[in-house]
Amino acid sequence: MGYTWHFNVIWDYRIVFVRGATITAQLTVGSLLIGVLLGLILGMMRSSHLKLLRGPATFYIEFFRATPVLVQLVWLYYSLPILTGVQMGNVASVTVGLGLHAAAYFAEIFRAGINSIDRGQLDAAKSIGMIYWQMMWRIVLPQAVRRMIPPFINEFATLIKLTTLGSVLAVYELLHESNNLINNTYRPLEVYTALAVAFAVIIYPFIYLSQRLERYWQVRS
Amino acid sequence: MIRVTNLHKRFGALHVLRGIDLKVERGEVFVIIGPSGSGKSTLLRCLNFLEEYDQGEVLFDGELVGYRKANGGKLVRDRAANIARVRAQMGMVFQSFNLFPHKTVLENVIEGPLIVQRRNRAEAIAAAAAFIKKVGLDDKTHVYPSKLSGGQQQRAAIARALAMQPKAMLFDEPTSALDPELVGEVLAVMKTLAADGMTMVIVTHEMAFAREVADRVMMMDEGAVVELDTPERMFNAPAHPRTADFLRRVLH
Repeated sequence: MGYTWHFNVIWDYRIVFVRGATITAQLTVGSLLIGVLLGLILGMMRSSHLKLLRGPATFYIEFFRATPVLVQLVWLYYSLPILTGVQMGNVASVTVGLGLHAAAYFAEIFRAGINSIDRGQLDAAKSIGMIYWQMMWRIVLPQAVRRMIPPFINEFATLIKLTTLGSVLAVYELLHESNNLINNTYRPLEVYTALAVAFAVIIYPFIYLSQRLERYWQVRS
Repeated sequence: MIRVTNLHKRFGALHVLRGIDLKVERGEVFVIIGPSGSGKSTLLRCLNFLEEYDQGEVLFDGELVGYRKANGGKLVRDRAANIARVRAQMGMVFQSFNLFPHKTVLENVIEGPLIVQRRNRAEAIAAAAAFIKKVGLDDKTHVYPSKLSGGQQQRAAIARALAMQPKAMLFDEPTSALDPELVGEVLAVMKTLAADGMTMVIVTHEMAFAREVADRVMMMDEGAVVELDTPERMFNAPAHPRTADFLRRVLH
């Protein structure tokens, strides 16, 4: 077991990791935006008292939670074009696919957060003449968001990690770049170790930030 | 100012309001008493449509609340914006205060003027300061609700309601959640409002307050009006045995 590590390989090819991390970040930010916006809409639809809104939202959420995300990605990339003629590039496919997937989970986080707000808050908002959207944006969501932070960060970290599925569609994110690098250098141990560390370095600051934020809000209210 | 005609409300099989009629005049202090479960709070919440009613009418300042008359006289639910507009003309104070916990006292008070009435911020703040002073919280203007006592929170809630410059104020057991020593400060604020000529509908268990401030008192039981009279007659010589029985129990 006298393995000699050659981490200088990583340093020599550091540009490969920077390049991969850029794409990983791009996938994450893109799918996060889609996931949060769509999730917010779905979450509000699902907590609506109108069946017409609640039904489709519930179906969407359950469907996406009940199918593997990898299947969703390949379906979007290989099957959607056949059905509709719309062919997205592999980066766009992964961004949209992960966004649609994350939306289902974000929707549940939003719904739980919204439902956790005391009914008295709604009464008070209505009594000063607020309409639904004002009540949501000014009263309910600002309070709900604070309760959503921990599960939200959880889902966000999951989303970053899920971007590695992009390698299946040959997207040059961190994992795919790493695999290519291994083909050139025959150094899987060093490369995969560096990959793991790279993810930790990307993800941990967000976890740290959320913990600080959570504490800050606790102090204020 | 407020006119209720043959109001019915059911929660499933439970018939909580069984044909209520009442009229509250402009500037009147109208107190509703009765045992718990008699439908007092539900009635109050129907006045600004926080609770939908099944039958009858609520008119506020001549306007139907919550519904509009469709062709053929059938009542259909009013547009949300219209319901909100009518609601904004009535201030409401809740048993559990319901201040917005993520906003300071000032932010709570300017929220309605700023967001609902779309008034200019500086103007709203200036007006809010006057209401906050009126309820005696000028030293707590920038404090969050969690740092206030129950009495202070309820006074802040009154200021929030007043800031909308309502035509009437609804109070839903405003002192029931308070420690006994904090009840007085809230009732004192309510008395100054009454003295200013505010139209007030108050659900309360504070009989001494009702006797002192009310123009008329309405006794409710099992979803119906038992009797409606001046506080003098109601408290000294109740016409109905159920009122007498209720008063005997709460006054001793």
